[in-house]
Amino acid sequence: MYRYDEFDSALVQDRIAEFRDQVARRVSGALTEDQFKPLRLMNGVYLQLHAYMLRVAVPYGVMRSAQMRKLAHIARTYDKGYGHFTTRTNIQFNWPALTDIPTILEDLAMVEMHAIQTSGNCIRNVTTDVFAGAADDEIEDPRPWCEILRQWSTIHPEFSFLPRKFKIAVIASETDRAAIRTHDVGLQIVQGADGQTAFRVFVGGGQGRLPHIAKEIASAVPGREILAYLTAILRAYNLLGRRDNIHKARIKILVEAIGIEAFREEVERHHAELRLEDLILPTDELERIRASFAPPPFETLTRHSGAFDRAVLAEPEFARWTRNNVRRHKVAGYASAIISLKPVDGVPGDITAAQMEAVANLAERFGFDEVRAAYEQNLVLPHVRLDELPTIWRALDAAGLATANADLATDIIACPGLDYCSLANARSIPVAQALSRRLADLDHQERIGPVRINMSGCINACGHHHVGHIGILGVDRKGEEFYQITVGGSPDEKAALGEIVGRSLSADETPLAIERALNRYLDIRTDGERFIDTVRRVGASPFREAIYAPLDA
Amino acid sequence: MKLITANRLSDGRVIYVGADDGAVDAMLQAASFDEDQADAALGRAAARPDVFVNPYLVEVRGQTPSGRDRLKETIRATGPTVGHSLDAR
Ligand code: SF4
Repeated sequence: MYRYDEFDSALVQDRIAEFRDQVARRVSGALTEDQFKPLRLMNGVYLQLHAYMLRVAVPYGVMRSAQMRKLAHIARTYDKGYGHFTTRTNIQFNWPALTDIPTILEDLAMVEMHAIQTSGNCIRNVTTDVFAGAADDEIEDPRPWCEILRQWSTIHPEFSFLPRKFKIAVIASETDRAAIRTHDVGLQIVQGADGQTAFRVFVGGGQGRLPHIAKEIASAVPGREILAYLTAILRAYNLLGRRDNIHKARIKILVEAIGIEAFREEVERHHAELRLEDLILPTDELERIRASFAPPPFETLTRHSGAFDRAVLAEPEFARWTRNNVRRHKVAGYASAIISLKPVDGVPGDITAAQMEAVANLAERFGFDEVRAAYEQNLVLPHVRLDELPTIWRALDAAGLATANADLATDIIACPGLDYCSLANARSIPVAQALSRRLADLDHQERIGPVRINMSGCINACGHHHVGHIGILGVDRKGEEFYQITVGGSPDEKAALGEIVGRSLSADETPLAIERALNRYLDIRTDGERFIDTVRRVGASPFREAIYAPLDA
Repeated sequence: MKLITANRLSDGRVIYVGADDGAVDAMLQAASFDEDQADAALGRAAARPDVFVNPYLVEVRGQTPSGRDRLKETIRATGPTVGHSLDAR
């Protein structure tokens, strides 16, 4: 894993000292809220409905056990004993006092964490495939490239005041497990003509009020030129992006307005003008960063594990968990384990301090000290031995973390909604909970198979509802909460926006309506067809009919 | 009638303007103002930025939020309706 160098530590320490001073001046009255707001946002501090909220960066979702333990300490000491993992693979604390935040940031710095660029019109936390370095279909580990982007984009003077926020995701396989086409820029590692790393580049994706799927702008930018190419994209955006209307300021609107061809020309013009030599990645620096992501010392094992096979036969619940939450690993005898943060009736993405410590212990004992945050608001132990999965599962079960529902109907992405968020129109969490109670039966969920249900409490779409196979959007109708359902969205390599199926429904009607849509799928699917395959084959109409027929009768 | 609410500067918690323009934690203790007093009272709260962050008016009937944002104001007054913060109280 990448460790801070002296520049990283000095930068974080300087920023904490600066913010401590800013907080002191705010508390003394020397700064007004209007003056202070942009300063706090640069340090990840929001003011939500009930309290300040601190968003801590988890760069490309990768954490060590010491970091997880520190997050647990913060949750317990300064918050109400829990934290919330977001779809940007960051963690949010919902209750810190402003006056404690400089000290919290000092605690975080002890384990090389911070809250810089988790808010504001800058380049946000870069996300990637949660199985990076473990997946058997990746061309190479994408994390060194994420780290290079992190270093390049951190407090980059040219890109600290963009028209709007800017999100980048990186993958290294054909299968997209990081939803790159919903990002301002999506990068897919491919092999260049010279056999070296190259990037297929997508631009102009985004969710929110005006959702767009990103378009391909380049098919193979050489790896060593990627910073120059991204600089050209950001420069074009910085110059041409709209600053007069917050709803039209994202790069997706610019790309849509001038068209991908014209935007490509603009980028190529900047790319040609840039003094390339300044932005070419030095080979030794690339190798230095790659070395910090070297694979852990895997043992030579066989593909099969007696201990694992015996436990599968002896313990049906363990067998179920392995079916649903364990993924293939590129090294024989190893696997990746998904830790679901979606228990029945739970809050998607929430985790208590004790659970964070349980995960830290497992990562340390069994997982080469690594744990990952997935954008689906789950955690992953990327490298664990098959032999040790039974022990890991028992420990997770004891901590309330063994829900066997990864990628199934109750693995719901949901934003905090009106229970916390000052921008919300409606609550998300109670509707996600009601749905999870209705669909709790795991036999039934396994019969349904993989389906992504995503839910947001307003059009900002933090819960990715546009690209849920089933999406739920909270809307406000004369002060009452209603929910609009979409069907057929998809976040993967066949990215698509869902289609709105009809009028919005009440909180009580919504879970029942979704259950009817899933039942319709069970009725009409052909052999081996997943939910999304059926929607792609038949369109949204049968689901619309299933959702509304009983209501209209 | 109207109440005045804000977040407290030090810890961000929801507060209201109470009797004698002091800050109170509970909506039930908030002072209610007629239309013609409300703006002046809001002005007094805004003049104390060391306590009241972003003060604004909330429409109420009795002590219950009644305007378009009534659900949001009820949740602000009573806390998240679900989740771990309920156990932490
Ligand atoms: S989608 Fe809306 S309600 Fe949900 S967290 Fe984002 S801004 Fe808040």
